[in-house]
Amino acid sequence: MTNSIQEFEDAEVFFVIGSNTTEQHPMIASRIIQAVRQKAAKLIVADPREIKLAKFAALHLRHKMGSDVALLNGLMHIILEEGWEAKEFIKDRTENYEPLKAVVATYTPDRVAEITGVDKDSLRKASEIYAKAKRSMIIYAMGITQHVAGTDNVKSCANLAMLTGHVGYPSTGVNPLRGQNNVQGACDMGALPNVYSGYQSVTDPKIREVFEKEWGVNDLNDKAGLTLTEMIDAAERGDIKALYVMGENPIISDPDARHVSRALRKLDFLVVQDIFLTETARLAHVVLPAASFAEKMGTFTNTERRVQLSRQAITPLGGTLPDWKIICEISSRVGYPMNYDSPIEILDEINRVTPSYAGITYSRLKGSWGLSWPCPNEDHPGTLFLHKDQFARGLGAFDAREYIPPAEVPDEEYPFTLITGRVGFQFHTGTMTRKISILEREAPKAVLEMNSKDARRLRVTDGSIVSVESRRGELHLPVQIKQHIPESMVFSTFHYSEKNINELTICAIDPVAKIPEFSCAVSIRRI
Amino acid sequence: MRRLKKDNVLPFLRERNKIEKVFCPQRAEDRDLMFMPLEDGVYTGDIGKTTISAKVVLFPQTEEIISFREKNISKIIDSSKKLLFGIRPCEMKAIQLTDRFMERDDIIDPHYLSRRKEVSTVVIACNEPPSDTCFCIDAGGMPYLETGYDVQLFDTGDYYIAIAGSEHGEEILANKYFEQGAEEDRKKLEKIKSKALHSQDNKPGFKNAIEILKEEKADEDFWERLADRCINCGGCVYVCPTCTCFNVYDLPSQGGYIRCRSWDACLHAGFTRETSGHNPRPTQGSRLARRHEHKLKFDIINFGESGCVGCGRCSDTCPVGLGAIEVIQELNKL
Repeated sequence: MTNSIQEFEDAEVFFVIGSNTTEQHPMIASRIIQAVRQKAAKLIVADPREIKLAKFAALHLRHKMGSDVALLNGLMHIILEEGWEAKEFIKDRTENYEPLKAVVATYTPDRVAEITGVDKDSLRKASEIYAKAKRSMIIYAMGITQHVAGTDNVKSCANLAMLTGHVGYPSTGVNPLRGQNNVQGACDMGALPNVYSGYQSVTDPKIREVFEKEWGVNDLNDKAGLTLTEMIDAAERGDIKALYVMGENPIISDPDARHVSRALRKLDFLVVQDIFLTETARLAHVVLPAASFAEKMGTFTNTERRVQLSRQAITPLGGTLPDWKIICEISSRVGYPMNYDSPIEILDEINRVTPSYAGITYSRLKGSWGLSWPCPNEDHPGTLFLHKDQFARGLGAFDAREYIPPAEVPDEEYPFTLITGRVGFQFHTGTMTRKISILEREAPKAVLEMNSKDARRLRVTDGSIVSVESRRGELHLPVQIKQHIPESMVFSTFHYSEKNINELTICAIDPVAKIPEFSCAVSIRRI
Repeated sequence: MRRLKKDNVLPFLRERNKIEKVFCPQRAEDRDLMFMPLEDGVYTGDIGKTTISAKVVLFPQTEEIISFREKNISKIIDSSKKLLFGIRPCEMKAIQLTDRFMERDDIIDPHYLSRRKEVSTVVIACNEPPSDTCFCIDAGGMPYLETGYDVQLFDTGDYYIAIAGSEHGEEILANKYFEQGAEEDRKKLEKIKSKALHSQDNKPGFKNAIEILKEEKADEDFWERLADRCINCGGCVYVCPTCTCFNVYDLPSQGGYIRCRSWDACLHAGFTRETSGHNPRPTQGSRLARRHEHKLKFDIINFGESGCVGCGRCSDTCPVGLGAIEVIQELNKL
């Protein structure tokens, strides 16, 4: 997030696109609802489904799945036509404005209404509400990123915020909500193929030198590695022989599960490190049992870039070790001794080699509510919102994007769009939450959510079992009629290994971020 | 009337801990104040208001209740002796309400009652409310108790004035660490009590809220509107000193099974959902209404007393500002 959670309170406008916030980020949703109710903030929701948040919205844009770039370009078109853009901000703080203007000029309301299915009047209203307010926040989640145009979608959100000057100030910004307690932290620490901690590129010799010196080694690899989706493909081709998976359950969480399973079975050597024996761990040659969050100490970095200390509550059960200890042991045994005493010593090293984390030291985290990066030194109070006065790269670069349709659109053979997601009571592939009886009771099984009109057409009702089939797989699921789903769209969750919806989903990936699209075309048959 | 010097509290607790398990409010470094076994924490004399009340000892978060092994089925009963030191008056009142609930008509809960029977209670009265969210006086309670405890302590600064409230309390006060009280203590006691009665500013309007519920002014819309921001975490229920709903499940154990029960919350849909899928409390608003009406309306009808003691823990804990205080304030607007 460019901005922080506490700033939600003072926002005048929320533009929520591709986030089922009440279900997946309930604390943030609760702040949005409070701001709408008590401070008369205006909410615009852009989502094909009538999610709970839509109830509080001044405007709900039900754009077609995957038409986000067209929608965002369409809003920018109207803003420019009406002269609502932030002229000073554009002049002083941005570049590449002309190419953006040229691209959005072609996204006329008529064309956008045609692509997105949103009427022209709503497009105009949304543009006006978002652009004319002083403090407007864009909030998005996987509904924006998990597309073949994921990177384009994110860039378009940034274009819109810069065009209207809604970034670099309190209660504004582009705010992706991170889905897991430490996914921000994992990325910050360089659990990505192309960067060291703090997003420092592996291709930059000066940065490599810093790490070579710190670690006492020479010749750190100067090439970016593979992303998760690329690794699975490489494994299936036989280009990867061994894979070490930590805290991931790709057989359930990745698209096209049969392809994932085939790929993992082809490996000569698969190691899985997890707190429970997951479906992926069952395929492993070696399973390394790790300690859970309650059995170790360390830090988590949340969605607002806030690093917080997490303390050990109980001693590890069943002879498990914290992940950092397992990694140290393995490293030491393969010839590079790692002798950290504790996570505190590891944090010291993070402070030394990561400029944005330099001031986030153990002594400051202890007894505080944490610090948000960038925090370049120990006197720095941390940063609530980014890009104040100047963007991280200097001038904010507009990057105009063209609309491209989803990889798989419904056709005669597969007439429905399947989208997948989560419910609040289960977490991801359910390896933890499905072991808790009360959570399992709240959301015990996978269902296929469907509009009543489609149900009538298919002659099915609540609880009827249907066969859902895509080009990659078939699954039998009970129907649940939900009015918030538009016609020709169905929704299911990927928490349930016994009904693995990802056997159906598609592994079409964004060419830049390599994030998969998941959503795909399916046919549905009563059985 | 006797005295307990503050310096003598820890030696007293350590001595008692040799004959019975002592629980008291303690805080590990940088952590919440919790009611925990003496040996698991560091006693600092900070009684405050624990995040979770003394309920956690009598009605643990998870407990084993029945063991099944081959043909042997046996109840698991904990009847070990325990001393709860530093219970606040509102918590003690909550225990009294729970006692009545756990043994009513022909329904008895042997697990709770057997544990309760062997527990000694040492209450520490509140000179001042331990937190801003305390509203026991508004809720019809008091910052000290008249009856229903073994020992009650009043804080004079250097020492506690100790009063026995039962025969067992008299036995506790016979311990060598308790000294004979002086005549001046009587005056001090009266002063502490009258000051305490006027020390609470938080008055959300408890009695009026009860009237409003009685008159059925809070309709479905009222509750649904509140529930819009409820995130269904159940936190208010878990920290409530009078909430005792539980879920039952069986776990495999050494060739047999152990039946356990764990805290549950009426705010979860699955708590009332029936096998057919029908749910008599189908919406979050209806469940929120049930919880608050239970405390402020039906407990009064069934037991003559409300089920909320005004400790304010739900308001401390709720991440979206929807504890009893806020609900009572909203009811008062009707």
